[in-house]
Order: sequence, then C-alpha cells, then structure tokens
Amino acid sequence: MKFSLEWLSDYVELPAEPRELATRLTAAGLAVEDVEDGEHGTLFDIDVTTNRPDCMNHFGLAREISVLLEKPLRRPAADPAEATERAADAARVVIEDSEGCPRYAARVIRGVKVGPSPDWLRRRLQAVGLRSINNVVDVTNYVLWELGQPLHAFDLAKLAGATVVVRRARAGERLVTLDGAERELDPEMLVIADAERAVALAGVMGGADSEVTDGTTDILLESAHFGRRRVRQAARRLGIHSDASHRFERGADPEICAEAASRAAKLIAEVAGGEVLAGVIDVRAAEVPARRGRLDLDRLDAFAGAAVPAADAERWLTGLGFRLEPDGERAWRVTVPSWRTYDFEPRPSGEIYPADLYEEVLRVFGLDRIPAALPGIPGPDAPRAENQVRRTRVRRYLAAAGFAEAVHFAFHDPAADAAYPSLRPDTKPLPLANPLSERYSVMRRSLIPNLVESARFNQRRGRESVRLFEVATVFYERPGSGELPDQPEHVALVCGSWPLHSWDREWELDLFDLKGVVEGVARELGVELEARPAELPGLLPGKAAELLRNGEVVGCLGEVAAKEFYSLYVAEVALDALVSPGGQLSRQVVLPSRFPGIIADFTLTHALSTPWSEIRAAISAAQPADLEDFSLNVRYQGTLPDGVVNTTIRFEYNARDRSLTKDEVNARQADLTGMLVERFGWKE
Amino acid sequence: MTDGGTSAAPAPADRDSGTAAGAARPADLAAQFEREAGAVADRQAWEELRLRWVGRKQGIVRSLLDDIKKVEPAGRRAYGEAVNTLKETVEARLAALDEEIGRREREAALRRSTVDVTLPGRRPAIGSIHPITLVMWEMEEIFASLGYSVAEGPEVEDDYHNFGALNFPDDHPARDTQDTLFLDNGLLLRTHTSPVQIRTLLSRKPPIRVICPGRVFRNDNDLRHSPMFHQVEGLAVAEGITVGHLKGTLQAFLQRLFSPETQIRLRPSFFPFTEPSAEVDVTCANCKGKGCEVCSGTGWMEILGCGMVDPRVLAGCGIDPDVYSGFAFGMGVDRVAMNRYGIPNIRMLFDNDERLLRQVRE
Repeated sequence: MKFSLEWLSDYVELPAEPRELATRLTAAGLAVEDVEDGEHGTLFDIDVTTNRPDCMNHFGLAREISVLLEKPLRRPAADPAEATERAADAARVVIEDSEGCPRYAARVIRGVKVGPSPDWLRRRLQAVGLRSINNVVDVTNYVLWELGQPLHAFDLAKLAGATVVVRRARAGERLVTLDGAERELDPEMLVIADAERAVALAGVMGGADSEVTDGTTDILLESAHFGRRRVRQAARRLGIHSDASHRFERGADPEICAEAASRAAKLIAEVAGGEVLAGVIDVRAAEVPARRGRLDLDRLDAFAGAAVPAADAERWLTGLGFRLEPDGERAWRVTVPSWRTYDFEPRPSGEIYPADLYEEVLRVFGLDRIPAALPGIPGPDAPRAENQVRRTRVRRYLAAAGFAEAVHFAFHDPAADAAYPSLRPDTKPLPLANPLSERYSVMRRSLIPNLVESARFNQRRGRESVRLFEVATVFYERPGSGELPDQPEHVALVCGSWPLHSWDREWELDLFDLKGVVEGVARELGVELEARPAELPGLLPGKAAELLRNGEVVGCLGEVAAKEFYSLYVAEVALDALVSPGGQLSRQVVLPSRFPGIIADFTLTHALSTPWSEIRAAISAAQPADLEDFSLNVRYQGTLPDGVVNTTIRFEYNARDRSLTKDEVNARQADLTGMLVERFGWKE
Repeated sequence: MTDGGTSAAPAPADRDSGTAAGAARPADLAAQFEREAGAVADRQAWEELRLRWVGRKQGIVRSLLDDIKKVEPAGRRAYGEAVNTLKETVEARLAALDEEIGRREREAALRRSTVDVTLPGRRPAIGSIHPITLVMWEMEEIFASLGYSVAEGPEVEDDYHNFGALNFPDDHPARDTQDTLFLDNGLLLRTHTSPVQIRTLLSRKPPIRVICPGRVFRNDNDLRHSPMFHQVEGLAVAEGITVGHLKGTLQAFLQRLFSPETQIRLRPSFFPFTEPSAEVDVTCANCKGKGCEVCSGTGWMEILGCGMVDPRVLAGCGIDPDVYSGFAFGMGVDRVAMNRYGIPNIRMLFDNDERLLRQVRE
C-alpha cells in the first residue's frame, strides 16, 4: 500500500531522512517494503497487515509516526461553513438492518459544480495509484485515503423520495454497479436503496443510476459503518474488490463517520463550490461497545522478560489513542480506541486480554531490546513416538539398500490413481474442490502412480537404472461427511534397469531384487510378509502379488504392465503393518552356538506349479531337532521336462550344547526329505 | 623331496669311477659341480642337476660312495671324508639354488597376476535420503537437544483445527492469505502445521515443548511456489514463558542450524494465533550480513514467523492464559534445503531426478 510522505507531513513532522523513518516503522510492525522517489516525491510501499485497517490511510499512519518519533499529531479540519437549511430536512435515512449497518451518517451539499479536480488533489490521488474522476468523487476517495473512512456521493436528485434505506437485497434484485456490470443480488447482501430500488451495494460499490455526473448539483454524502461480514460476503460472491470493501472487510472505525462526512463536505465546498446544509444526519441503529481492559506493567515485564518504563508505556498508548486511567501502582484501566477492533476481541467476561495491550506496548518498545534467554523447563518432553522411529528406520534401510528417496505431491491425476493398485480398492479417491488442475485433482490412494511417473522421468533422461522410494501419507474416504479421512502412512518402491555392467560383470534388476528389499525392511522391523499371487491393475498377470501379514493384505508388488525402455517393478506396504508382534522390537541377540554346525543340501524335483511358500511351510512345520536355518539355494530348470524344476535347499543344523554327528543329521534329513519327496516330489 | 628314481644320463664320471681312486677325485668333482650349478637357470635344469649328482640310485655321489670298496683300505677314511664333503657342498648349493629359483618363480607369478590398480572399484549401490528429510532430521535433532519432542497430525484437516482454533475469525480476510485447497466435503488440506499445535494443546497439559514437522499445502503454483511444501513449527507452553525465551530459543536453534555467528532480528508482524507476532530475519549466511545478491543487499534473510501464543488460542484449548503463556514459531524447510544443497528452484525438489537426489549427502 502506497503512502506519500508529502501527504503524511500534513499531520506530523517527518525526519529529513526517509530511510530512518522506514526503519522505525518496520521495527514497529509496519513493514516498509520499498522506498521510491519519483514525480510524486517520496513514496513508502508498506505491507499493512490485515489486523491494522486503521493504518490503511495517511492520518492513521501519521498517528503511528507521531508516537514513534514523539512528534505532535495534527488532525485535518472538518468544519465546513454551513447553510441555514438543515440536512435532516433535505433527506431521510432509515436503517433496517442494524447488524449490517450500526451507523449511517450523511451530509447534504447543494449547488455543487462537478468538474475536474484541482492539481493538488489529482496529484495526491495519483501518488497512491488512483485515477482522478471528478472533483466530488475525488474528494470521497481522498478522504478514504486520508482518514480511512469509505464514503459515497449520491446524486440526491436521483434518489427517489430523497430517502436512503439500508436493507437486505431482495431475491433476484438487480443493480448496475459503477463499473458498468449488472449484478444479481441475493438477500445475504446489504444494499443502500432509495424509496424504490437498490442504488448501491453497501460498503462495496455504488450504483450507476445514482452516480454523480457532470449534471449533478445536489449531493448526499454517505459516511456509514458497515459490519465486515456482510461486506465480505457480497464482495466475494460478486467478485468485486474495492478500496471500500478492503477496509470494511477488515473493520472500519464506527466513531469517525460524522467527522469524515464533515471533512469531505468541507473539501467538496472548497473544490466544487455549493453550500453544505446544516448538521450531519447521523442514525445510530446499534451501539458498538468500547473495549476495555487492565494493564499491569509488572505483569507485562514478566511476560516480556524485559523492563518497560511506566512513563513510556503511558505516553505511547495515549498517543495511539488508548485512554488510560490509573488503577494501582504501575497499572491502568485502559479503553481501546474505536479504530482498533481486530486485536482486541473481548474474552467471555467482556474484558480484553492483557496480552492485547502487551503487544501494543512491546512493538513500540522494540522486540530487539528484549534480552534473549532460554526457558527453564526441566527435563525433556515426551519420548519419540514408535511410528516416528519406525519411519526413520525404513528410510535408512532403503537408502542403505540403494534406493533414493523421492517426494511427490499428495494429490495426483484421477486417471493415474485408477491405473494402479490401491490397498483399499473399495474406496474412491477424495477429490479436491478447487484443484490446481486436473493433474492434481484427487488425493493419492497409493504412492505407486507417482513413483512410476518419476521412474519414467528418469528413464527418459537416460538413466540405466532406477531405484526410488517414498514414505508418505495416502488418503481413504471415510463414510460420513465431515469426518477426517483415513490417512495411513505407506512406503513404496520402484526399480528397474538395463543390463548393468561393472567392467567384468553384468546383471539386471528384477522383481526379486525388489522383493528382497521389501522382505528385508520388514524383517528389519521384526515382521514377516507372505506373498500371494494376485491380479492387480497396472501389473503384469502372473508377476504380481499381494503382501499379507497374518492373513491380512497390507501391501502389493509386481511388474508394471506398461513397458517403456526397461521393465519396472513396484511395491507398496502400509507402515502400520510393519510393527513387530507385541509392538516392541526386541534388540536381544541370539548367541551363536559354540559347536560347529553341519550343512546338508538337498535337491527336490517337483512341479513348477508348487509354490516355494508351501515347501517352506512344510519344512517349518516338520521342525526337525537342531535345524537352525534353511534357505533356497538353487532353482534349476535347464534340461528338465517342461513344468518341472529342481529346487536345492540348504539346511543348517547346529545343537547349542554339543557337536552333532553326521549320522544324527543324516537320519533327520532322511525323514525330512522323505516327507518332502512324498508330498511334493515330481512323479512322471 | 622325493627321488625321481629315474636314471640320469650316463655320466663320464660314472664310467670313470671304476678306475677312480684316491681323495683328490671328489675334490675335482666339486669344481665341476660348481660349473654346472652356475649354469642352472630354471626348475627343470635344477631337477636334472639334482638327479645327476645326488640321485639316490645313479647319482654321482652315490657312485662315489659305492666306489669306496675299490679304494685302498688305508685311503678309505680320507676318501669317505672327501665324498661326504662333496655331498654336503652339493646339497647346500642345491638348497640355495632351490630357494633362489623359488623366489624367482614367485616373482614371475606375481608379475603375471598384476592388476591395473587404476581400474574403477565396484562401489556398493547405496541410495540417498531426500534433502527435505535431511533438513527436517537436523531440525528435529537440534530441538531434541533443547528438550522438545515431535508431534504429528493429519494432512487433511477440518476448519476448526486449521483456522477456527487458531483465532482466524470466520469469514475474515486473514484466511485469504492462506490460499487454501479444499476437499469437496468442506474439509481442507492443512495450510500450515499449526493444527498439530492445536491437537497438542487439546490433548496435553503444560509444560509442553513440541515441534511439528510436516507437509503443508496451498493453492499456489508458480516458479517460486509449490502447492506442497514443508514446515517445522514449534510450541512451548508453561508458566512464566517470556518473549525473551522465544528469542533465546530461536537464537540457539538458528545458530546451530546455520552458524554460531548468526544474528537474529525480530520485526513485529501479524498472525492471528500469536500476539505479539514477529517475522525473524537472520544475518545472510552468504555475505555474513554485509549485503549481497542472495539477500538483496540487506544483509538479512527472512527465515521464520513467530510470536507469543494468543490467549484466545490457549483459552480455546482449555489452558488458562492467566496462568500459562507460551511461544510458537514456524519455518519453511524447503528453502533451507535449497540453500544448503544449492538447488535454485523449489520445483526441482519434487522432480525426483535421481541424478540430483543421489548426490545429496547428510
């Protein structure tokens, strides 16, 4: 928001060096983002935060400066010479909606001559980025930028019955606004009407029918206080943003209405002639209660961790418009000025919070003057949550296993969402109401689509291998509106490669490279996952599986059906499934036996259709004594008939209390392998 | 060493042995052996030499010993000693030669198996952690050392936790600054991790010290903005928490995150959920505060927002603001990561280009 230093100097004496003022304002919460020197003199571009609509005008900013620089503040004159005719006899104001409009003040000016504005007025408006329209409209804009009060000038002759009614719009009522657009109104909007029809959208924009034109002679000058809610609603629904709505939405000063009307009337008489009728029509439909509270400086010091001198606090607050009455040692009863609403919302008891006043004092005192210290809260806070520890272990394991961590947006393309498996295929993806684009329009139910997309991105850039993983939330709808969706955390991986070369070796990433990593990360967390063949969207049939834990599907893996460059393999697992039985992962080690073990290999010839998981389960169920471990050693199909495979299994026997003999082991192996051959052995 | 058992080529000394007599004969042979030994260059020649001289059946030394019967009894003793001396000389020399040849063979074998040590080694294919994760870990670690725990919450939130409880008035322009992404059912994607602070305040009693790292979302997508980015927010609530404590905590944190020389500056600002509120600047790490391109010549970089928890927020969560006070702060993770790893554009953080990701080290 632009401010002219030349204009500001009407109300307060400014230092010679603008940078000094800029620094001081910034340190007090009015961030000067730019200082420009040009044809309009020095301009400040200030980022006025939404809680300070009172500083969105020159006089309001001058008030801050007067306190920061300890200079007197000069109020602009608001004492027009008045005619004998009374304004109240020339026009009538009725407020029908007191919540939307607690106060409506108006002045009437007769016999104006509408024409171009004088140079000084045009220049000041141009300085803050406004176009000059005519002398009357320019004055209303000028007063808005001077005192912060939005004004509107009606052509009194065009107001039927010389009456202003503040009411809700009627359903279907129409209004052509000043910008020439015809607007359809609804009863949630507040309008200014004459005896017959709506003539302005309250606090947002005037209507074209009652606008001041070159032929206008008599003016009704509106200076009303509109509640922020109705103004915001109308402005948003109609897509209008005006200087007036900007201020009303943030909260205007209900006590400045009459003064602003008089100030504008005085200026109109000066620049457009005419006579100002006697008195201000001032209808108050509702009282806006003043806000009060108590400021105790000792408490302020304790809150700040600094010592604020009482005389300073008193002088600053008074300068900012607060009324202070002593209430004990270093304490006051404080009344908040009418132009400060946002930061002083009262608590249920009706009083404002002391911190509201602390903020006001401390921003003038200077936060940089408060000494830094560390709080003396003893001991640490809560320990790290189990899921946080688990997530970190998963990340570290996967990075150590060769995968690079990826990060994707939480939303993606509905087509991509449908193209790959979800652990909850029964759910529909949650759509965004205002997505950035179709590409980002639904919440992810799986991490796989994005990983495949990123794998493609890397493939297209010539990567000879891809290994990516992501740990992130997925989103599942939950029946019942308003309920938060299920948001479990998943881990997913993608990999694939051309034949990879060292200078003397060659290999290629395939499904079992991926599965080994998935099994490995699960085992790292004390969990065994079972794979079960499954048909899954986007994955090759016969090369896809669901991952189960205790019979429950907790993940999936497989080869991506669509192929570009080399094959891609994907997997996804719900992190909640990776909690070891009993919740706590044991860190205890199993001590190795002091005695040498015996290794026995056995080759089982069996039908290719017999899954390894069944053979493994049969061995586990047989539980020969002292069998410490067993593993799949070799699978060989080479010269065997179709549909037959040789599976070599390595068995490791070891007793904890003695050396086993070959004979003992052979006897156990004979029983075990006999069983395996009988159950699974291939018969011609 | 086993005896080859094969006969050596008929040697002149053998044929002469019948006529040989006296102690001078073996001594002459010593000189002959020395000449022959001097010509031995490899294992095969050595083996031939050995068999010819000390072969168990036909070796010259053996023949000499057999010839002792032909020697006069008086000369036998001297003859025997001479042969023995010859035998010892030959064996010692053969052993030395064996050693020498073995050494040469080992050297030759080594020379044959020499590798080109400048060939590239086979590196284990380790992966990498995302730069954002690494920066978050670092921030969590710093705050852990200050006694903070980590709190987390849902990414799809409701209006109450994201706005209402944080003192955003209904239908107020303060909400416009957040560019919220909404779901169809009125829920929204959290615009900051502050709702986690609310959930913490609602579920715990002071003293509280938590940080809330996580992903947040805004309807904003251009060269400088990503619709998803990352924040770490912090919250401390206890009796007697002061503005000075806020400054001290941020100073300790930022000096560890950047450098011990880092200075901080607080500029009053506005957030609905804190009062007073402030923007925090740190001295530019690039120019150490002198002013450079990175900091637009100011010497300062805006790094986070903070403030004292608004009493309305505390009261709304059932914590008496007349007894307890607290501070809160929040900072973006993405820009810190971009700075640290020299990544110029926020969108590059989400391209997931392995060529970039795999260079990132803790």
